[in-house]
Amino acid sequence: MTVQQLIPLIIALPLLGAFINGTFGKQLSKAMVGVIATTVMAISFLFTVLVFMQVQQGDAVSVKLFTMLKTDSFSLNAGFLADNLSVWMALIVTGIGTLIHLFSIGYMKNDPGFYKFFTYLNLFIFAMLILVLGSNYFLLFFGWEGVGICSYLLIGFWYGDFKNTIAARKAFIMNRIGDLGLLIGLFLLLAQFGTLEYNELAQKVLVEKLIPSDWMILGITLMLFIGATGKSAQIPLFTWLPDAMAGPTPVSALIHAATMVTAGIFLTVRSNYLFEASHLTQDIMLYVGLATSIIAAFIAMRQNDIKKVLAYSTVSQLGMLFVALGMGAYTAAMFHVTTHAFFKALLFLGSGSVIHAMSDEQDIRKMGGLRKMIPITHATFLIGTLAIAGFPLLSGFYSKDEIIAHAFTHGTWLYVALMASAALTAIYMFRLYFVTFFGSFRGTHEQEHHVHEGPVAMTLPLIVLAVLSVFGGLLNLPGVWLHKQAHWMSHLFEQNVAGFTALPKHAENANLALILMVVAGAMSLLILLVTYLVYGKKGSLPVADEAVTGWEKLSKNKLYFDEIYNFLFVRPLEWLSLKITQFFEGIVLHRGVVGLGQVIGKSGDLVRKWQTGRTDSYLLWMVMGLVGLVVYYLIYKN
Amino acid sequence: MGHLLFILPICFALIVLFVPKNAVRIVGLLGGLTTLVITVGLICTYNSANGMHYFVKQDWIKGFGMTMHFGYDAISLLLLLLTAGLIPLILLSNYKNELASNRLFTSMVFFMQLGLTGVFVSLDGLWFYIFWEITLIPIYLIAYWFGAPERKAALLKFFIYTFVGSIAMLAAIIGLKSMAPSFAYMDLVNVALTDKTVAFWLMAGFFLAFAVKIPIFPFHTWQPDTYAKAPMAGTMLLSAIMLKMALYGIIRWLLPLFPEALETATYCIIVLAVIGVVYGAVIAIKQNDMKRLFAYASLSHVGLIAAGLFTATVDAISAGVLQMINHGLVALGLFLAVDVIERRLHTRSLSDLGGIAKQAPKFAFWFAALAFASVSVPFTSGFIGEFLLLKGIYNYDWIIGAVAGTTLILGAVYTFRAYQLSMYGPVNTAEFADLHWSEFVVFFIIMVIIVVLGVYPAAIIDFVKPSVTNLLELSSISTSLAK
Repeated sequence: MTVQQLIPLIIALPLLGAFINGTFGKQLSKAMVGVIATTVMAISFLFTVLVFMQVQQGDAVSVKLFTMLKTDSFSLNAGFLADNLSVWMALIVTGIGTLIHLFSIGYMKNDPGFYKFFTYLNLFIFAMLILVLGSNYFLLFFGWEGVGICSYLLIGFWYGDFKNTIAARKAFIMNRIGDLGLLIGLFLLLAQFGTLEYNELAQKVLVEKLIPSDWMILGITLMLFIGATGKSAQIPLFTWLPDAMAGPTPVSALIHAATMVTAGIFLTVRSNYLFEASHLTQDIMLYVGLATSIIAAFIAMRQNDIKKVLAYSTVSQLGMLFVALGMGAYTAAMFHVTTHAFFKALLFLGSGSVIHAMSDEQDIRKMGGLRKMIPITHATFLIGTLAIAGFPLLSGFYSKDEIIAHAFTHGTWLYVALMASAALTAIYMFRLYFVTFFGSFRGTHEQEHHVHEGPVAMTLPLIVLAVLSVFGGLLNLPGVWLHKQAHWMSHLFEQNVAGFTALPKHAENANLALILMVVAGAMSLLILLVTYLVYGKKGSLPVADEAVTGWEKLSKNKLYFDEIYNFLFVRPLEWLSLKITQFFEGIVLHRGVVGLGQVIGKSGDLVRKWQTGRTDSYLLWMVMGLVGLVVYYLIYKN
Repeated sequence: MGHLLFILPICFALIVLFVPKNAVRIVGLLGGLTTLVITVGLICTYNSANGMHYFVKQDWIKGFGMTMHFGYDAISLLLLLLTAGLIPLILLSNYKNELASNRLFTSMVFFMQLGLTGVFVSLDGLWFYIFWEITLIPIYLIAYWFGAPERKAALLKFFIYTFVGSIAMLAAIIGLKSMAPSFAYMDLVNVALTDKTVAFWLMAGFFLAFAVKIPIFPFHTWQPDTYAKAPMAGTMLLSAIMLKMALYGIIRWLLPLFPEALETATYCIIVLAVIGVVYGAVIAIKQNDMKRLFAYASLSHVGLIAAGLFTATVDAISAGVLQMINHGLVALGLFLAVDVIERRLHTRSLSDLGGIAKQAPKFAFWFAALAFASVSVPFTSGFIGEFLLLKGIYNYDWIIGAVAGTTLILGAVYTFRAYQLSMYGPVNTAEFADLHWSEFVVFFIIMVIIVVLGVYPAAIIDFVKPSVTNLLELSSISTSLAK
């Protein structure tokens, strides 16, 4: 089949799955529902692989379905663009998506909303594929909002608990703030270029060199970046992501770690030629990313909910990705997006497996000693932890190192700051690992009795992701040892992704790269050793909530971001709403009209003596009269 | 065939008065559907290349200057379609209520349809005014006869507001006629308004009538009270169809008649409309009565449409028409959702509700779908409509556009607050029966249309665009006449 035929199928399959499960899911058995949802994903993944093989070496392929809207000044097309960037993202989405669907069959098997869960999950994939495969910013926005809805539905999946629905609402609203920025960015693009098609834009900017004025390009890129801060959880719009952990764990793995939250990265990489034209935006992006990365890592230090640690870790990693984007290291960012998708999905699914084993306990203080009780989960979780902590030769080591190497050439201070963020990451991840899996079991007796490994549907995805987390680094090996296959991803994207060949090349210094890698590796090993001594061997435990003091209290309370936002935005808005209702609606405007009414009413008293005084009877007569008039006309005059 | 648009509603308004009580709702539905079929027929036979299609065009009362000019173009047709489509849906959504079997109620609905149809096809200033006023009667009576016990004060307010607006419009029509040979639409358009002050006041007369009915801030205070006190069918008629008369009035009358006066006034009007967008949304955030909440939401949504129309560009007006259809559908759906709750629990205050989703999953699904449509997510017609409207306003003035854009955020805040407080959380209400088939059918039809238009909005935009272009040409002719 050709790419033109395959692309619509890739997108339609998850929609079909959602449709089947959404309409008939209630009648079908759970096994059937799970199999349908997972099968459509697997086929979709297979097709994506086929597309990848065809597109990989050639030019990008566009597929146009139909014109959604055509006005005099612009047209909006439903079309798709398959180049190595979009197909790569589609591979991640469908590939990891398939594994997580499979995992969910086991994880959600006792949930009464089983069919609904898979409907939403399929629907999410559908929207996410539109986001990455669409041929213009408009379809990207379509998918962008679409994944927001699915995210809302899935965060609030267990809506019986009010806390979850509030988290869902918060996520949706904070995303919408970013969306408004993105929308304005789209308006600006339209005003400037008259098109939202990637191909045409790239043509105009890269070939015809129609670069807008400094202010305009700054406006466009800043607005796009604001959109990205919402979806990819950057300061100031990041507080929704940790709350989003209220959703079932597979959702956290799929949406809030591997795919949706990287949409902002994708948007920036897709628009690389625009961002390259505005260095101010790049700098802003870099600083925002850096601040997010360090702040989130700091907060993660003293979280005791296994999922919250991972959530802040995601925010922190996303921040690091924006640092990479700010430096113009787009391939490095995509490389880290890929490996991060592997090991963060692995860690989330692993945490899901732990929570499953612990009968829904999420507090790591009540776990401990799980190493021997759930060996597969333990082994895979360990691999994930090592990968994210930058343990030598695992995937995260290479991808993070590439960003850090860029930072080194960008400025020493940036290098130090990023290393600090990476060190924090290693510390909190090892802390999480040791507290959870080492020491003695601290849960209830009942829980201990019940601890068990999940079914194959759950362990298989863990194993696959663990393998990917180990070997993922091969995708873009630095040119230190191997020369033939080095920088495979860089070559891939330069093949047919607009803007990539125009990027400035960083001179590859093999010695420098090697030194930086040794330093990073040594740091990771050192932290492993220290955390092992503290948490593993000595068995130190996080203290009770009331006992934390000093910086730990700040970390534990998330630097009071939620409280500050409440004080600055939420409460004033609610206050305004109430005051307007009372004062403006109730007094100013109401008095005016009622006053007028009373005047009219009083003057009416004079005439009323001759009348029956019933408005409805007057009106009825008026109706009759008018009807008579119209009927008369229609019958006699026509 | 155009005549049938008048004849059918009159016939059915009379017929339902005499059929047996248990047949009223069936006859009512049949009547609504017949008109719908006729309207669809008109749309199929309409060729947009021909411009305005007059189905009656003759002089009438010569000395007075009143003519018999009735006709339609694509804009009118879409609003006729909206009316003809929503009337059966309103009747159907009340199918389970006692109201639907009430002869007077059903009769009044058809009178309403008569008036609305008249407004959308009148091409004579006086006829436009007459039909405009006729619509007031059935809606007043529906609210008066079937409304909540404390409806009188609200209705008085409603009456005063609309009456003042209408009188102002009548004065403006007569004033304009004094400079034209007749009340016919084209004659009025061709009036050369050389005196700026006169032009402004005539424009203001029309504007006041429209501003009250839309409503545009600060002419809106009748709306929440009236919505809250009217029976649900009345609220549906008011918000889903009736306020479209005023938006239609802006397109058909205000823009072509007074382009020169609008040049100076547009900025203020758009600012007012956008204030309404934010104002309505902010108030909706803390409302406890769901009906009031959606009334303020409606204020916010139509403010955006009005602001877009006044930018007077082909794109924005076409999008405005699309958004009128969308708003009609969504408003009807949301008020039905409130009614579904109120019928079963006899309350619509959010503080008493909760956990309905567990008891009535079907209802929860459709209500959620409508909530998403209301915040204009992709795959719903509101998405494209809002996108184009905001783009139009943004191009007009980027700051106003950005402020109007906050509706994206605030809309999500109040809509999901309402949805979650009523549907989610622990169950704290008595039994809640899931949807009746009639309610289900209404939700289903509404959502299908919304999604189809969301994926293929070109169906509306392409149809309406030639007429909008013609209309804006009229307005530029009118401008050149004045100069």
